[in-house]
Parts: sequence; structure tokens; C-alpha cells
Amino acid sequence: MIPENFIQSNLQGISFIGPELILTLAILLILLVGVLLPYWRHRILFTILAVAGLAGSVLPLWKLPQPAPDLTYLSNLFVWDWLTFLSKPFFAVVGVLTILLTQVTGEIDNSEYSECTILVLAVTMGMMLLVASTDLLMIYLAFETMGILSYLLVGIRARDERSGEAALKYVLYGAFTSGTMLFGFSLLFGLAGSTDLLAISQKVAFASQHPQDRLLLIVAILFFLAGLLFKTASFPFHFWCPDVYEGAPTPITAFLSVGPKAAGFVLFIRLFYPLFATGHDATIYEAVSGLDWPSILALVSAITMTLGNLAAIHQNNLKRLLAYSSIAHAGYLLMGIVSLSDLGLRSVVFYLVVYLFMNVGAFAVVAMVASAGGSEEIDSYRGLGARAPYVCVAMAIFLFSLIGLPPFAGFVGKVYLFAAVIYKKIYWLAVVAALNTVISLYYYLRIVKAMFLEKPTETIQIQVPLSSRVLLLALLVPTLGLGIYWQPLARVVSGMF
Amino acid sequence: MQPILDGLTLSPWEPGLFSLAIYGLMVLGLVSLLLFFASWLGEKKSNPEKLRPYESGIIPTGSARLRYPVPFFLVAIFFLIFDVEAAYIFSWAISYDSLGWAGWLQISFFIFVLLLGLLYIWKKGGLEWGPTSKQD
Repeated sequence: MIPENFIQSNLQGISFIGPELILTLAILLILLVGVLLPYWRHRILFTILAVAGLAGSVLPLWKLPQPAPDLTYLSNLFVWDWLTFLSKPFFAVVGVLTILLTQVTGEIDNSEYSECTILVLAVTMGMMLLVASTDLLMIYLAFETMGILSYLLVGIRARDERSGEAALKYVLYGAFTSGTMLFGFSLLFGLAGSTDLLAISQKVAFASQHPQDRLLLIVAILFFLAGLLFKTASFPFHFWCPDVYEGAPTPITAFLSVGPKAAGFVLFIRLFYPLFATGHDATIYEAVSGLDWPSILALVSAITMTLGNLAAIHQNNLKRLLAYSSIAHAGYLLMGIVSLSDLGLRSVVFYLVVYLFMNVGAFAVVAMVASAGGSEEIDSYRGLGARAPYVCVAMAIFLFSLIGLPPFAGFVGKVYLFAAVIYKKIYWLAVVAALNTVISLYYYLRIVKAMFLEKPTETIQIQVPLSSRVLLLALLVPTLGLGIYWQPLARVVSGMF
Repeated sequence: MQPILDGLTLSPWEPGLFSLAIYGLMVLGLVSLLLFFASWLGEKKSNPEKLRPYESGIIPTGSARLRYPVPFFLVAIFFLIFDVEAAYIFSWAISYDSLGWAGWLQISFFIFVLLLGLLYIWKKGGLEWGPTSKQD
């Protein structure tokens, strides 16, 4: 017999997953419309439904109680803190931008468009669930919801060989790493006898005193890292990234480079901070004694950013180049995780928000140029500044922001990340990151040079549709605006931790 | 709080990477030594009879690489999906009394989603067996 109050509390908890429920309804509606109206496949209908679903998913947030760090719901599977609360609109924005980008670039066929919007919504729902989870089983379930559906998204162009190859590579890497992570979960469950992160964290501090259990914990941490570093495209598990980013449709690439990556970093915060770190006072954490994961991550961070930047130098395909740049950015973001302070966590979240706009912007330009008759190779960007000035200026701004040059948002984000590392006195990592910024200057500026300083091979003006221009403007405003007036975002972010 | 192993370990096991490495090297060395001796000392006389897949005297016929029809896999996957979903309905049926109308509504929604999925694969031609499907 199930106790009555258990059922009651579960029914009340349902209101907390309002955003996910609304997304589910939107998915079902699009599925139904896509099936029942097969000969009336207007893209705009699916786009409107999907954007409305994503916008609607944010609405219930303001009806719900004030977030608190210890407010859990649905049998302690989820926690309702500020990180959960603010991640949901973030992922909704990621989803909206992706869907608008697929709409304006037309890279995905009409016959696959409804499935594409469904999958984007479903991955968004998975990410929303993932950031709220505080239970190993729920984390894994949401992680796989996000993962398996994004493999499908990569292979959405079923007849395209490159898309299929990318999807297969993504599946194989993903299956291997998430299986490894699950093994880590099982080790931790065996040690603590619970899947609840709070319950485990109490055992971990004690278990790390014993050499046998400590070895087990170290193995568990290494196994977690496999899954997390895969999702964030960081060093030993980054090999899939260039191939998948190149083979996937460009809007989907933009989606993968910010959505699952951000979810991976939030999972870092969710998993590592409660389990393997103890809060000193409210602002500084310390790794549980005997488990020196911050040093491992610092090393991973340094290698990731160096490798990403060095590999990007030789790329001539812009999607591959941006893929390596996204690997490098995973390295920068790891600096915030390594620094073990609230300052570091805030800087990670801040940088993720900034990175969303500038990276989606860069991929949007690539998609728009490709759909306007150009290609993804750097050769077709030669002299493009004269042929499509608006798009090229936008691209230059996104690239300058990705480098981290002063008037743009990327600069502020990087300052916070560097500050976090220097505050923790990990000077060598700050030096490595600074050197990497200089390296990255070269390959980003190579594109800018090709666009503005080289002679065009053709002189015909490229016509970019108005809808694309508006979307670019929507991405430019935050990239510029957050570089000049970032206090509102900083204030929101500092309320989170 | 109780220690997790609480002195009840069967043997005083001290994990050491050094002993593991020594052990690993010994295993590796032994295996490679055996393989080396087998290939060095062993007789190697091959004739067509020996190279047959079956040395029992049965002459193989045809290719081993049969091609299964793709719809077979599709139907297998559909079965798997709907079969797993039935497990959720069983768990609802067991606690049917205490879940009440709220539980009934939730499982109805769940079944509705399943039916929608069935409608989708039906309309998409996933259930059609043969070359006349809509996908061609």
C-alpha cells in the first residue's frame, strides 16, 4: 500500500515539471500535425508551434515558488534551486534560436522538418530535466534523453552520407562514454547505498578517509569524467567533435555546440560540487581530502584549450574550425569549474550565456553563407565583405567576441573566468589560457582577413533574406550589449550561488 | 556513522598500483610468450581442405552473409519499445487502488502518447512489409 501523503506530494511535484510538460504537449501536437497533414508540410507552421511551445514552457516558472537550495520535488529526484530555475529559460532560448535558424537557412528538407523540430524540443526537454536532477538515476535518464535524441538530430538528413557518418561516430563515442559514466554511478551506488546525491555526499566525505574506498571514489570520478568530458567536448573525449560538427546540418551543429555543452557544464556543477567538494564558508570550496579532482581537471582544461586552438589553425572548413574553437572554449569553461569557488561557478554560467549568443551567431553566419550559394570552405569567404557587408560585419563581431576582445561580451566572460582562476592562485593555468587566447587570435582573424582584406573571386552581391538579417540582429544585440552593460546578467548570475 | 567496510573485509586488501602493474606485466608476458612459442614451434602446413570453415567434412554451401530484410529490424524495435512501455502499465495496474483517478488520468495520457506513436509509425509506413512502402 502506498502512503497517501507520498501520492499527494508527487502530485504536487508535477507542477514543478510544468515546463517539461508543456514541451511534451508541444511535441505531441507537432507529431500529430506532421502525421495528419502530410501533404501540407509548411515549415512555418511547425516553426510557430515549436517556438510557441518553447516560449510557453517558460511561462509556468513565474507561477512557482521562490527557488531554494533544499527544495526538492518528485521524491527527491529534482531540486528547485536558482540553477534549475534559470537554466530552463536558457535552454528554451537555445531551442528557439536553433529552430529559427533551421527555418531561415532551409538546410533541412521539408520532409524531415517536423521531426527535426520535435527532436530539438525533446533534447531541450532532456536538458531541462538534466539540470534539475539530483538523483543518479534521473541524471542518467535525462542524460540519455538528451544524448540519444541528439544522435538522431545529427543524422536527420537520412540520405546524406556525411550526416550518417557523423551520427554513427557520435553514437559510438556516446554509447561508450555514457556506459562508462553509468559504471561510475554503479560504483558510487555500491559505496553509498543510495542514488540520492545528498545522501551520497554524506558518505563520500567519510569514505575518502579509508584507502580502499578512496581508490573506488577515484575510479568513480574518472568514470564520471568520461561522460561529462564527452558532452562538453573536452580533451580525451573530443575526437568526435570536428567530424560530428562538420557532418551535421549547421543549425544542429550550433545547437549541439551550446545546448548539450552547457548541460554538461551544469552537470559538472551538480555532480562534483555536492559530492566531492565541501563548502568552506559560503564562497570557497575544497575538494574532499584525498580526491584531488581539481588538479586533474586543471590539467584537462589546459590540454583541451591548447589542443583545440592548435588544431583549429590548419582548418579550412569553417565548421571544423568552429568545432575546434568550441573544444578550446570547453577548456576555458573548465577553468571556472577548477577554481572551486562561487566566483568560478558564476563565471562559468556567465560565460555559457555569452557563448550561446556569439557561437550560435558564428554558426548562423556559416549556415546563411552556405545557403546563399557559398560553401563552408574558407575560400568562399574571400572578399565576402564587399559582397555581403552586413553578414560579414556580424561574423567579425562574433569572432572578435569569441577571441575575447574588449568591447564585446566574450571579453567580459573571459575576464570573469581568468579572475576566478587567479583568485584561486592557479597562475599557471591563467598563463596557459592567456597564451591560448593569443593563438586563437590567429585563426579567427584569418577568417576576418579573408572576408575584408582579400580580393573577391566573384562580384555578385549575395542576397541574404530579411528573416536571416533579423535573426542575426537578435544575436548581435546581446553579443554587443552584454559587452558594454553586463551588470544585469552578472547580478542574476551572482544570485545563483 | 558506520564505516562502510567496518573491518569485515575478508582479506586485508591494500590497493596498490605497483602490484597491479607487476601483475599486469606478468600476465602480458606469459600470454605473449605462449603465443610466440605456438607460432614458432608449431607446424604450418596449409592445404585447401584445412582452410575450410568446417574441418568435419561438410562442404559449405552458399554465403554466410545473408541479408535480412530491413523491416524485420524495424518491427523488432517497435516491439521492444511497446513491450517495455507495457511494464509501466503493469506497475500502474498493481497500485491501481491507491493511485485513484489521478493515476488513471496519468496512465490514460501515457497510453494516449503510445497510441500517437503507433499512429506515427503506421502513417510513416513503418509497419509495411515489402517494397511498396511509402519510403521508396
